[in-house]
Amino acid sequence: MEIFIQQLVNSLSVASVTILIGIGITLIFGLAGIVNFAHGEFLMVGGMITWFLVTSGLNFFLALVGAMIFVGVLGFIAERGLFRFTLEQPMNGFIMSIGVSVILQHVVIRVFNEVQKTIPDPIGKVWVVGGIDIIAMRAIVVLLTAVVVATTYFGISRSRYGIALRASIADQDTAALMGIPVRRYVTGVFVYGSVLAGLGGALMIALFPITPFTGSVVIIRGFAVSLIGGLGNVGGAVAGGLILGLVDGLSAGYGSPEWTDAYSLVVMIVILIVRPQGLLGGTLGPRAT
Amino acid sequence: MNETPHFPEPAPPVGRRRDIASERPVTPPAVQSEAKGRSGWVKLPSREETVVAIVAVVFLVGFPWCNPGYRFLSLAITTGFTSIALYGLGLQFGQAGIMSVGHAAFLGIGAYTAAIMAGRFGLGFWVALPFSALFSAVIAGLIGLPSLRVGGQHYIIITFCFCALLNIALTNGGSFTGAATGLDVGSIDPIFGINFDQLRNAYYLVVAVLLISLLVTYLITNSSYGRTLRAIRENEALARAVGINTGLHKIGALMVSGAFAGVAGVLQAYYLRHISPALYGPFPSLYLALMVMLGGARLLYGPLAGAIIVSFLPEILKLDPIDSRIAYGVGLLVVILLLPGGVSAGLLDIYRWLLSKRRR
Repeated sequence: MEIFIQQLVNSLSVASVTILIGIGITLIFGLAGIVNFAHGEFLMVGGMITWFLVTSGLNFFLALVGAMIFVGVLGFIAERGLFRFTLEQPMNGFIMSIGVSVILQHVVIRVFNEVQKTIPDPIGKVWVVGGIDIIAMRAIVVLLTAVVVATTYFGISRSRYGIALRASIADQDTAALMGIPVRRYVTGVFVYGSVLAGLGGALMIALFPITPFTGSVVIIRGFAVSLIGGLGNVGGAVAGGLILGLVDGLSAGYGSPEWTDAYSLVVMIVILIVRPQGLLGGTLGPRAT
Repeated sequence: MNETPHFPEPAPPVGRRRDIASERPVTPPAVQSEAKGRSGWVKLPSREETVVAIVAVVFLVGFPWCNPGYRFLSLAITTGFTSIALYGLGLQFGQAGIMSVGHAAFLGIGAYTAAIMAGRFGLGFWVALPFSALFSAVIAGLIGLPSLRVGGQHYIIITFCFCALLNIALTNGGSFTGAATGLDVGSIDPIFGINFDQLRNAYYLVVAVLLISLLVTYLITNSSYGRTLRAIRENEALARAVGINTGLHKIGALMVSGAFAGVAGVLQAYYLRHISPALYGPFPSLYLALMVMLGGARLLYGPLAGAIIVSFLPEILKLDPIDSRIAYGVGLLVVILLLPGGVSAGLLDIYRWLLSKRRR
């Protein structure tokens, strides 16, 4: 039983990173209407920036902020420079994002190298609660994720900006007539999602090693999370992330670990076929009506 | 909810952006009515198309005579079987409008079928070729079933998942698939006394298959079947309303595409002599999608152009693999933003522009 709880606690921190990337994708895909295949690469870049700053002697938490800002700027450039021009044709945007992901991946290899990067545990403490070891960093990851989830959820459902955003998804033209700067909201959502990817990358490298190829693994999980939960649905992304994280964590501990990645893929394919709008319901993605 | 798998083409946006839809040569009314008059027949090539076809055949057949050397000849073989797979992808994306970013999976199915047939049952290349094509086609049809239900990006993501899933399955397949190290394949059995161990003969084999796939693509695009597929691409709901069995034709296009990929996979397996899961993972798939977009999916020579550009340009410019991949990515962005029909459509536009200038 103790091992089970141990596994559960560990999976929770894995799930947290997955949730962060899933929220980013669900917002960008479901609300901004952009399928950003380079989102995993954004996360990887965030991790790499964190690694770079930490190895140059910066405190981890400052490096984390640095990574968030860097990836946010990256997202801003990508949206304003590229995706803005394909909003009318999301398929082209999708293919373009594949190009972006290839570019980012190889630029990172060019700038650094393809060896996997790790940083020392930024806190390096282990709390023992009732016979269960809890690594402090993992707890902080879970905590930060919870804060982000709460902020995002209430931001979208309660704040006037969230309402304006949802209005512009529901009916772009009417929202524009009501004085909502729709395009600016699209940029805003994209940048916010990118900042979350930066945060996810920074937290991820605090837990696991990262290679330039991490992004392509993460992106599948991110899409799985957002599609399982329903696009544009923050709560759905959390549920999806928890399901996937638990399945992964438990299968690593009990099932056959070499098939771990396969489970999330199978779950995602099945959900896409059976319930394309996701378990908790959401938008069907850009203009897929 | 999702009758249209892709998005209504919007009104021409401001500025210089054009729809991808402005791809095919607008056939003069006379030709159009002729094609309508005997639907089911293949439209005969125009004079220009014939000239281009002859140039292309002469170029492909004559390439080894230009003394390309071992490096370029083997690169040409790689380009050859890649473009065979791209013709399949071009057909399903360019004509039927169903994109896939997991297309390398079907190459993998073809290649592994051939390798397993050779290793387990001692069946050689010539038996494996039709069988792998058939098997890949069937799998492609099965994987295509969700495309009836979910459209657009959702289906693309499914293809990507399938590709990743197949990769995991191949890696965990134990001795049957050779796990992560993969399988070895023998050489192609000589036929009519031709020894395919010689690079030049292998090149001619690939070129022969490539020409066949070009021909098949031409026939499909210019037949009533091609028009059916384009109708589905442009407006699926409307196509269904006029009585087209859209589901059947979509699966059909995907199966043809899968067969192309299967053939390409067998050729690749027998050319490389060794296959491993890494060859058929998500990354090679992304590059296939990239090539087809770069070259242009809708015109006959688009996929070939894409494969040639992606394979030969880095070699000619002497880029190392990392730089060349960055260059592909940048090239893709430039193509999508400025030239959505791909390089081939861009060339066609330039040709038409020159023509109209001369006439004036």
